[in-house]
Amino acid sequence: MEKVIIVRYSEIHLKGNNRGWFEKVLVVNMEKSLKGLRHEIRRQSGRYLIENFDSENTDIILNKLKKVFGIHSYSVGLKVNSDLNEIYNACLEVCGDEGTFKVDTHRADKKFPLNSMQLNAEIGGKLLNDNPKLKVDVHNPLFIINVDIRENGTALVFNEFFKGAGGMPVGTAGKGLLLISGGIDSPVAGHMIAKRGMSIECLHFHSYPYTNMQAKEKVIELTKRLSSYICGTILNVVSVTHIQEEIHKKCDGEYMVTLLRRFMMRIAEEVAKRRGAQCLITGESLAQVASQTIEGMTSSNSVIKDLPVLRPLCGFDKNEIIERSRLIGTYEISIEPYEDCCTVFLPKHPVTRPKLCDIEREEKKLDIDALVDEALSGIEIIKI
Amino acid sequence: MIYFDNAATSRPDEASVKQAEKFLLNDFYNPSALYKNGHRIQLEIKSSAENILQTVADCENFSLIFTSCGTEADNQAVFCAGKRGNVVTTLSEHSAIFSAVNELKQRGIEVRFANLTSEGKTDVDHLLSLVDDKTSLVSVIHVNNETGAINNIFDIAKRVKAKNKYTLFHSDGVQAYGKVPFRLTSDIDLYSVSAHKIGGVKGCGALIKRKSLVLKPYIYGGGQQQNLRSGTENVFAIKCFEYASLKRYSQIKNNFNKVDQIKTTIISGLDKELFKIISGRESSPYILCVSAVGLRGETVMHETDDSGLIIGTGSACSSNANKRHSRVILACGIDENVADGVLRLSFSAENTEKEAQTAVDILNGLVKHRKEVMR
Repeated sequence: MEKVIIVRYSEIHLKGNNRGWFEKVLVVNMEKSLKGLRHEIRRQSGRYLIENFDSENTDIILNKLKKVFGIHSYSVGLKVNSDLNEIYNACLEVCGDEGTFKVDTHRADKKFPLNSMQLNAEIGGKLLNDNPKLKVDVHNPLFIINVDIRENGTALVFNEFFKGAGGMPVGTAGKGLLLISGGIDSPVAGHMIAKRGMSIECLHFHSYPYTNMQAKEKVIELTKRLSSYICGTILNVVSVTHIQEEIHKKCDGEYMVTLLRRFMMRIAEEVAKRRGAQCLITGESLAQVASQTIEGMTSSNSVIKDLPVLRPLCGFDKNEIIERSRLIGTYEISIEPYEDCCTVFLPKHPVTRPKLCDIEREEKKLDIDALVDEALSGIEIIKI
Repeated sequence: MIYFDNAATSRPDEASVKQAEKFLLNDFYNPSALYKNGHRIQLEIKSSAENILQTVADCENFSLIFTSCGTEADNQAVFCAGKRGNVVTTLSEHSAIFSAVNELKQRGIEVRFANLTSEGKTDVDHLLSLVDDKTSLVSVIHVNNETGAINNIFDIAKRVKAKNKYTLFHSDGVQAYGKVPFRLTSDIDLYSVSAHKIGGVKGCGALIKRKSLVLKPYIYGGGQQQNLRSGTENVFAIKCFEYASLKRYSQIKNNFNKVDQIKTTIISGLDKELFKIISGRESSPYILCVSAVGLRGETVMHETDDSGLIIGTGSACSSNANKRHSRVILACGIDENVADGVLRLSFSAENTEKEAQTAVDILNGLVKHRKEVMR
């Protein structure tokens, strides 16, 4: 009798000829997340078995699997030979001491002498005999003993299903560049897109010395937290200090945020191309702040030449975003006080509905290409 | 690198650390143990307490409790002496007192705050008007950690006692001890000090207490230090504290004059168009508070840091506007625009005139440039 973890995948089922590739990527991702812990992952049809791990690490392994996208559910169970006695002993192990239960058998190996119904009755009857405190309830049992008889002469016995992270394995849907600020929204946006299988790199803008090192440290912490879902990532850090100073010196103050965001998008698209990312991802939510009006988004979007910009949070209320950030564990880091580079040189009344003609008039006062190049030349790349 | 943030912490005195090192590695015994080695360490702690105490008070009338830091000493004073009626303190207290009395307020004790003068000193008449027959504790900071303002705590204590002889008087002396010369008088009941501001190591402070005062412990346990502060004593840090104290007090006048000269050099060197001096004329020479009006103190601090000059700011960085300005600076009646640009330069006798001159050049140059950029 051996303790194993049974992992079932989600949407990969729907894939056709390329299913094998998705399955392989999921194994690689699980291996990455379990790095440093003794284990072996074995592929079976439609599921994986994690074997040969140290029993005392079970909870650690389960917690790590919880964050791997592409997993539908997982269970801790016992692996035995397809022998009635051995199966029964395993059932005794996972069965509770008292209360109602039912046995639910799946028989992939049709050569097994008893069919599913017969095996349910056989094991259920024996359990009732051995422990008078147990009662059968097939409609609403306190616990279900699952018996899964596989083709290779083994059987799996388990009693609990844990819900996995769902989605698709990270790395199966291309690569995106997440603009991460240090606030609540952007990590949630990254998490949502990663769930659909996209690898994520991050890009953070700072305004040192107007903002401090702690703000950058905070973004590193956030990226680390996010990284546990996306199997590692890279954080690109770019200073926009000089750009802000130039805007402040030469342009109408009302346009500071609008102009700055356009610069950020220009820089982001260039970083994305250099790093092989196929889209930009932002945490913008429609109408949340002055710069996230549809006019604001139009203005920042119009400088993007080739790549799509994914804004997964557009239809979310702030409290829905907060709820998600709590679930993924970034909320408590996000709410630490910090100075966002957007709040430096902040005008009292920023333009909320910028017009393209006004923006272009203001931008004529700046040497845009030179400023973008200068910012890109100072890029710092941090492996998380 | 020029280090002008000595009020935050000072470089440990190397000779003192070396001298105390044997208590870290060889004489590691538990001072409460009854065998000879334990007893010997107990005597060492006792002699440290006496040696530290005698630098500012007479050992007949005062005793000393070692704590883990100045903050703990302040907390013991507040929570063990401010037990009933009302507590009177000032708007210029360090957070160790300010947060502790706010907690007292939560526990149902009335807390009254005395106003400050424009130089950051306590408005003594206002403070006295707050003291009544129900006042259990008055706590007044000796030297303010942000402005360097010195309160004449001996005069204040005397006048408090004249108004209510049962009121206990405490002072936070963390920025005064080892820096400005004084002797404790019998009107002072409790006085907090810290080791790492004067060349000791972090993790050690002390609460000096009038001997006849009966005080409850703040930390309970094995009954160490006459049951006034349980917990195994940090012998190494205590010995460092002792050696550093003795050294500081042997040179206190020389040091005072030296840093006074440094402060004077900086005040006269800073461009008056760019900086407003906040510290008063009679403030501690160890602390100089100025404002780069129109800029954020933190921005200047980062830039001087990059140029090899470490200084402090008066305000913590926060996007929360309510926490952006120092409450002490605002309580001096300084407007937010000036409070935004507050910088704190704090000195030690290790600093030199040359460093002061370099610092002046760095500050004038950087702030002038930054103001032009931000205009």
